Amino acid sequence: MPSLAGFKAASVRLPLCFVLVGVLSLLVGAGFLLAQPDLLATYHYSPHLIALTHLFVLGFISSIVMGAMYQLVPVTLQVQLYSERLIKFQLGAHVIGFAGMVFAFWNYNMAAVGWFGTLLTLGALLFVFNLVRTLATVKGWNSIKLGIASALFWLSSTVLAGLLLVATKFWSFSTFMPIAAMHAHAHLGVIGVFVLMIVTVSYKLVPMFTLSELQSERRAWWSVVLLNAGLAAVFAAILRQSALKIPSALLLVSSLVLYGVEILAILRARNRRTLDWGMRYFLTAIALLIPLSALAIILCWSGLPVTAFTMQLESVYGVLALLGLVGLAILGMLYKIVPFLVWFHSYSRHIGRAKVPALGEMYSVPLQVAGYWTYVTGLLAVAAATAFSNQMAIRWACALWAVSLLIFAANMARILVHFVRPKVSPLTANVPTTRKHI
Amino acid sequence: MNPAPLTDELVLEQLRQVIDPEIGINIVDLGLIYRIAFADGRLTVTMTLTTPGCPMHDSIAEGVRNVLSGLEGVTDVDVQVVWDPPWHPSMMSEEARQLTGTRISN
Repeated sequence: MPSLAGFKAASVRLPLCFVLVGVLSLLVGAGFLLAQPDLLATYHYSPHLIALTHLFVLGFISSIVMGAMYQLVPVTLQVQLYSERLIKFQLGAHVIGFAGMVFAFWNYNMAAVGWFGTLLTLGALLFVFNLVRTLATVKGWNSIKLGIASALFWLSSTVLAGLLLVATKFWSFSTFMPIAAMHAHAHLGVIGVFVLMIVTVSYKLVPMFTLSELQSERRAWWSVVLLNAGLAAVFAAILRQSALKIPSALLLVSSLVLYGVEILAILRARNRRTLDWGMRYFLTAIALLIPLSALAIILCWSGLPVTAFTMQLESVYGVLALLGLVGLAILGMLYKIVPFLVWFHSYSRHIGRAKVPALGEMYSVPLQVAGYWTYVTGLLAVAAATAFSNQMAIRWACALWAVSLLIFAANMARILVHFVRPKVSPLTANVPTTRKHI
Repeated sequence: MNPAPLTDELVLEQLRQVIDPEIGINIVDLGLIYRIAFADGRLTVTMTLTTPGCPMHDSIAEGVRNVLSGLEGVTDVDVQVVWDPPWHPSMMSEEARQLTGTRISN
């Protein structure tokens, strides 16, 4: 079987399975929001919204992140993946685990959440083990290796913290406020795993897709170090409901400022003037870090009056973080990853023997553009409607957002057609006009 | 009938049929081909890729082998991927630069 980039990455089928699980979870989650807009119109500490959040976080985001990491880590660090067999076990544990957890949360059956959560945790630890063994073969440390290793640490911490949260429902050993503990757990996962992964892969993929270079390894390194330090501080401050929340958040924001400066420097140095739409999805997602940081600081402020509106701002923060920052970044990267995986499976062996499509010819760019605008408009509308707790507006906004997901799914289906029916045509004959003997 | 002599141009024309799938431009106009040498039936192509760790590494190298192995007189194709000198967009042809919207930064 051919390898990727000269390194033994996972076979194409397994990452594609993760991606399919992710896209299906996203569509199902959007259906739930359409059916029950009240979930976003009321305070977020409810079993149904927690179930839905886990569907988005574990079913959609984590599935795709894990599938992508099995491909990206060998490519970005130029190493071989430790074990492909472990991926199969992890896929099974992950899917059964998160689906069971979502069902159990929805019915508020915390014992079942514990059992399915344990299975999910075993799967996540298999993922971590596989990638840690892979990382161990890389000599030295750079910002990318540090970022991936840190994200794996935070992933382990997040799933274990989640299990502890469930355990406190049965054994009252925790002195922390349940809502504070839930918020701390959420920040651990979203920032520690997803934001850190976005930051880390940016340093490789943004230069790769814009024909540019990392401008300052030192800046990249410090952004990852400060992100880790900031997250540890924020986690402790939220958990203890400490007055140090704002300084901790500022430490975290400082790392994002460094990250933003580096991304701008990479983009300024780019040789490819026109940014493709996959990159625009991704860069729009990154830009959302600005309102998210501002909102985080506001929500940390102890003088913030407690009103229905300010409480809803917490939900807006969650919507912008999960569906905005992480969701949009994932959709943008899927426009890079899925065509590549399918192309590699269907056309790699034909290159030089037959005419094969380029990656950009495997999907519709007009659909991609339509998907971008409906997603961004739908997202902003969902955020605004959530802030004002307007159920009807939330439903219409979610409908617009769901349209963008259907457009995305249609484009993904166009790509997958190449997996089933490759479009190969004969090479055209070339006649040289001038000749010089070798 | 004598076969056509193997020339730089003939080899380059063949190589133009290998397209970088990410950029959608052939590898010759992208400036990825550094050197071509032919001796005793062995055709050696020294080339680079747009970035180290390019996921298309194996596919493109295999494509070069495929497209050249059918040439008259070629019994073996050796593809050497090198990173020195590193590829830069200034190596692209003018047409490729226009097609990809590529500028040359200082």
